[in-house]
Amino acid sequence: MLTSEEWEVLLLSLRVGFFCVLFSLPPGIALGWLLARCQFKGKILLDGICHLPLVLPPVVTGYLLLLLFGRRGLLGGFFEQVLGVRLAFDWKGAVLASAVVGFPLMLRAVRLGIESVDPRLERVARTLGAGRLRAFCTVTLRLAAPSLLVGSLLTFARSLGEFGATITFVSNIAGETRTIPSAIYTYLNQPGEDAAAARLVVISIALSLAALLASEWVARRMAPPK
Amino acid sequence: MFGIVVFLSCVLSANFAYGDGKPPVVFAAASLNTVLQELMKAEGEKRGLRARFSFAGSAALARQIAEGAPADLFFSANVRWMEYLEKEELIAAGTRVDLLGNRLVVVAPKGEGFEVEPRRGFDFAGAFSDRLALGDPGHVPAGIYARQALEQLGWWRSLAGRLAPAPDVRAALVFVERGECAAGVVYATDAMVSAKVEVVAELPVGAHEPIVYPVAAVRGRASEKVEQLLRFFQSPEAAAVFARHGFTPLNAKAEKEERKE
Repeated sequence: MLTSEEWEVLLLSLRVGFFCVLFSLPPGIALGWLLARCQFKGKILLDGICHLPLVLPPVVTGYLLLLLFGRRGLLGGFFEQVLGVRLAFDWKGAVLASAVVGFPLMLRAVRLGIESVDPRLERVARTLGAGRLRAFCTVTLRLAAPSLLVGSLLTFARSLGEFGATITFVSNIAGETRTIPSAIYTYLNQPGEDAAAARLVVISIALSLAALLASEWVARRMAPPK
Repeated sequence: MFGIVVFLSCVLSANFAYGDGKPPVVFAAASLNTVLQELMKAEGEKRGLRARFSFAGSAALARQIAEGAPADLFFSANVRWMEYLEKEELIAAGTRVDLLGNRLVVVAPKGEGFEVEPRRGFDFAGAFSDRLALGDPGHVPAGIYARQALEQLGWWRSLAGRLAPAPDVRAALVFVERGECAAGVVYATDAMVSAKVEVVAELPVGAHEPIVYPVAAVRGRASEKVEQLLRFFQSPEAAAVFARHGFTPLNAKAEKEERKE
């Protein structure tokens, strides 16, 4: 049904999506908590900056990633020399591109989840002897868990469709950075490969739809009873 | 509230007049970005000519035209995509002109040049580390020419798995400018435009099919304005601007030969 190249593309997309969600969760939770629970100067500005990838043209996001995380970039040099991780032309760069682009979705979901947790419950846990971190993990996060799941599914679905930033930052290298959208783009540009493109389009739609429906179902299940 | 919505709808949908009618839409290859914009500013304005440009990879543009995009002129970096549209009968008959030529060069980030001898037997793959940036050899004209040249020079095999295929030649240039790739294959004209790369070798002209930039009017859109623009592109003044940017005006050569006879 699928050629080996197409399997490679599909598995790469799933791998990129999985790690994208994994690496988006910690900053998503941290910033979500910060924006939900704290008041500080410049909060609105921070909120705006976190939502930028949602409104910037993806190619611009990709170019900014190249500036920051490319070899000569501010952070890219650190990654390469200190951590030994090369981001450009590598699937890890594709993960970064997807994570940046999907971050606003994760953040919104987490923030709403934490905001919906009654702070008094956290304080009760504290009076019963739990430290701040323990109270946060066992009470707040547990109660906000459905929102985390929704955020994760949305970020995953977004990662499956991420193209502009990916191709600008990590190019389109078969087996390394050729995710489903990049592969569809490649096939569409070659006369006669329409069938292969069509197969990937169908898979892409099916996966994204499944993720979106799952997130919707979770959101409904966990909504407070009326 | 409703009044505001109505007001905004009217204002935002108004046509900002360009004089009589709208300027022709030209779908042009990415490598023509700088030269065409300068051409219109330097010479086009003197003649009261305007155009609206859409720059992208020639393959993407050809596909868009095939799907009915409202382009008036198509200026491709490769005859293959022009011929694709001609086969689909989407080009106005008799309007095609093979206008410009170009050359391929190997570039490196400025200050990081290395020795390259453009001949068979030279160990090109060993001359630099990591990946070679180029237009996607599957469909981008610059990438197709690059692949032909690299194959002719016997360097292609040793570069397997070391390519960074970009969606158009300008994106490949950016990879080299940013130092992300130690080397890239782009047009000589692109290397001229960028201050952040240096040319380390010119690839032999005979190593690939002739680089020809054909321009033509899209079928059903050959209006007076469009034909004026086409004639303007073929004028000696335009040829001078193209030449200044490193393109080889093919048409001018043909004109000169005619005058000699």
